[in-house]
Amino acid sequence: MNAVLMLIPLALLLLVLAVGAFFWAVDHAQFDDLLTPGLLPLDEAEKHAGREEDPPP
Amino acid sequence: MKTLCWHCGEPLLATIVHASVGGEDRAMCCHGCRAAAEWIEQLGLADYYSLRTQPAAKPVLADAADRDGRRAWQRDELARHVVRDLSDGRRETMLFVEDVRCTACVWLIERALQSLPGVASVQVNALARRARITWVEERVSLSQILERLARTGYRAWPLHARALDDIRRQEARDALKRLAVAGFGAMQAMMFAAVLYLRGAGAVDASAEGLFRWLGFIVATPVVLYSARPFFKGAARSLAARQLSMDVPVAAAIALIYAASFVEAWRGGGHVYFDSVSMFVFFLLAGRYLEMRARHHAGDLVDALARLSPSVADRRREDHSLERVGVHELRAGDRVHVGEGGLVPADGVLLSSVCRVDEALVSGESAPIFRRRGDMLIAGSVLVDGPVDLQVERLGADTVLAGIAGLVERAQLERPQLARAGEQATRHFVVRVLGLTVLTAVAWSVVDPSRAFAAALAVLVVSCPCAFALAVPAAITRALNVLARCGVLVVKPDAIAALAQTSHVVFDKTGTLTTPHLVDVQTFNGVSPESALRLAAALARESHHPLARAIAGACSEAALPAAAQVRSTLGLGLCGVVDGRELKLGSSRFAAPDESLLGYADEILLADQAGVIAAFRVSEQLRPGMRDVIDALKAQGMQLQILSGDAPAKVADIAAKLDIASWRARASPADKLSELGAMRTQGAHVLAVGDGVNDAPVLAGAHVGVALASGAEIARASSDIVVAGERLGALVTARRIARETVAVIQQNQRWALLYNLVAMPLAALGFVPPWLAALGMSFSSLCVIGNALRIGTGATA
Repeated sequence: MNAVLMLIPLALLLLVLAVGAFFWAVDHAQFDDLLTPGLLPLDEAEKHAGREEDPPP
Repeated sequence: MKTLCWHCGEPLLATIVHASVGGEDRAMCCHGCRAAAEWIEQLGLADYYSLRTQPAAKPVLADAADRDGRRAWQRDELARHVVRDLSDGRRETMLFVEDVRCTACVWLIERALQSLPGVASVQVNALARRARITWVEERVSLSQILERLARTGYRAWPLHARALDDIRRQEARDALKRLAVAGFGAMQAMMFAAVLYLRGAGAVDASAEGLFRWLGFIVATPVVLYSARPFFKGAARSLAARQLSMDVPVAAAIALIYAASFVEAWRGGGHVYFDSVSMFVFFLLAGRYLEMRARHHAGDLVDALARLSPSVADRRREDHSLERVGVHELRAGDRVHVGEGGLVPADGVLLSSVCRVDEALVSGESAPIFRRRGDMLIAGSVLVDGPVDLQVERLGADTVLAGIAGLVERAQLERPQLARAGEQATRHFVVRVLGLTVLTAVAWSVVDPSRAFAAALAVLVVSCPCAFALAVPAAITRALNVLARCGVLVVKPDAIAALAQTSHVVFDKTGTLTTPHLVDVQTFNGVSPESALRLAAALARESHHPLARAIAGACSEAALPAAAQVRSTLGLGLCGVVDGRELKLGSSRFAAPDESLLGYADEILLADQAGVIAAFRVSEQLRPGMRDVIDALKAQGMQLQILSGDAPAKVADIAAKLDIASWRARASPADKLSELGAMRTQGAHVLAVGDGVNDAPVLAGAHVGVALASGAEIARASSDIVVAGERLGALVTARRIARETVAVIQQNQRWALLYNLVAMPLAALGFVPPWLAALGMSFSSLCVIGNALRIGTGATA
């Protein structure tokens, strides 16, 4: 029973952390477009090549 | 043997052009495709061709008018409506990009724009077909960005700066957060509740029970107070308006279960239902979330149509040259030029001799109306033949922009009829459940007061409005997703139910069943085919007629001479002045009435005053795979018909090739409409397919109007469904999926009814323990969602 008493607050803490992390992700546009970004990692090399031509403003 | 264009996937014609892409020689169907492919290769982005899953859109050859249109955005008066200043010299805008077909398009657009110096960031959303772009104004302009997109093969329009605010994105984010809290809360509450359910097995001692009840209370509280807030707000709003919306009984049920469980936990006896109330909220929110997604998706499409509003106009200067200005810059008294198929930008008096306008968007009158010099043209109407000049009289909010904006807003507010009916059913159901709960409580308090509270609560929990609330949105969302994946964009969600019922299909011929292509040029008097084509294309690009488009599209030259004083004679041809020569382009009756040119009845002739210069043979090709589409539609038991404005011989030929028995030639839009009316009175549910300006009334008048994405803007605006990629084969799938959807909705509703009819009496009689009530509710909701997911898998008939 002592183990349970320790695990329950831990579970609640993890719950709060999970909700917090999810809120952060939603607020940082991680769920706005679920379709498009799936393709982008397919071509990392091109991406860097493209960036080099385009110096930061 | 390669028979399809490497870039756009359309069948190759007699004249094949070649381009080298990725070190290999590829065949293209036209110069537009070659230019786009070479440009993509030049940018070093040829990988696009290996990434894409769908062929690219056939690029429209950029003509001078397009370029002027893009350049117009350099004017500050125009730009400030679509651009937002980010104060550090950067600017931001939201573009609507046409023809985004798969994620490879997104890749290509992002790469192509990011290699443009001065572009700071590009974010493309493929589903909404929008691109959010920020750039440094000193180094690059919006016009250059649009120009680069056009060269890559995508036409883009800036949306109003309001689009940047993204009210929908905020709504979607809020809904997702509430759903997540409800989901996490429900899971935890269930875990703590499981301990209480197991107490019979001796898993916990009695002293720990109280602890687990309060733990359930802790996790359920944010669910009720945060996630369920929309229900409480909605209930308060509708009570304030003295109406009974679905939110009222739902909010009452949530509050009742939560409060009762709290009392039970306080008393330290009986059952607590913190897990049930959390799940209840979670499932209801899931239904709302799905419905919201479907609504937003439809809204994105409606926005795309909103660009119909003519935010630019061509104003005549003193010297009769044209300048492109924003509509809001126009003043009463200005002379404005409108091209054929264009929208009239402001109310004004016609200065040209005669024209026909389609005022369907404004007045609902579908047949084009004749207007003579001195008549009034209404803003927002479409010029069917022209071009014309008009003198502006009235402007501003009381004309076109207001009208179309109203149209768009109305479309956005319209919720699918199925969803409304579903909500109605849910509301009635919840009211009855609340009644039964009260009845149970009263009855038990007479029989056995100690069990009254538990039994009443069990009725409330085991009854599942969630299944009702989820039945329609889950099925519609699934159907919209499946349809979007096969290139069918449903503009009005009601169209799904209507599509399932259709029994007749009416096709337009030219541009829908067939596509015209220039196959042969024959010249007279030693004129070279190239120069003849150049003259003809200069004239033809002023018109939106498919045959004229075919000639204009066949000319590779970008810098065509300007055509002046172009007039079109409906059904016959065009005339105008090019390079100082008065030219006529059209049928032999029109272009060369004096000469007896036997054997040129089907050709399009180009003539000047001296005689015939060239004959163009434009042949109609059936769209690839059309025969299969027709056979598949017949196999579904549909009655097919062709209604065309073309000559009987041509229509008969196509009808024979496609084995369609019923056809009508030389039908004007009004004839088509009356035909449609006759079919409707016989009880037929008509699906109309078309692409042209003249199809718009038919599309609007049919039960379901289907437009091709490549068709005229007005056709798309009047349709319920837009088929991307010109593949009408998707129509067959779409109808099957629509039928599946309607079947699944009915199954879901029957299931929810059956479940409740069985479960509620048992609960009222006190036979349902709390764990079974919670389990039954979730099981019923999951059944509904699982059933909806079968749509599009071929499992349902």
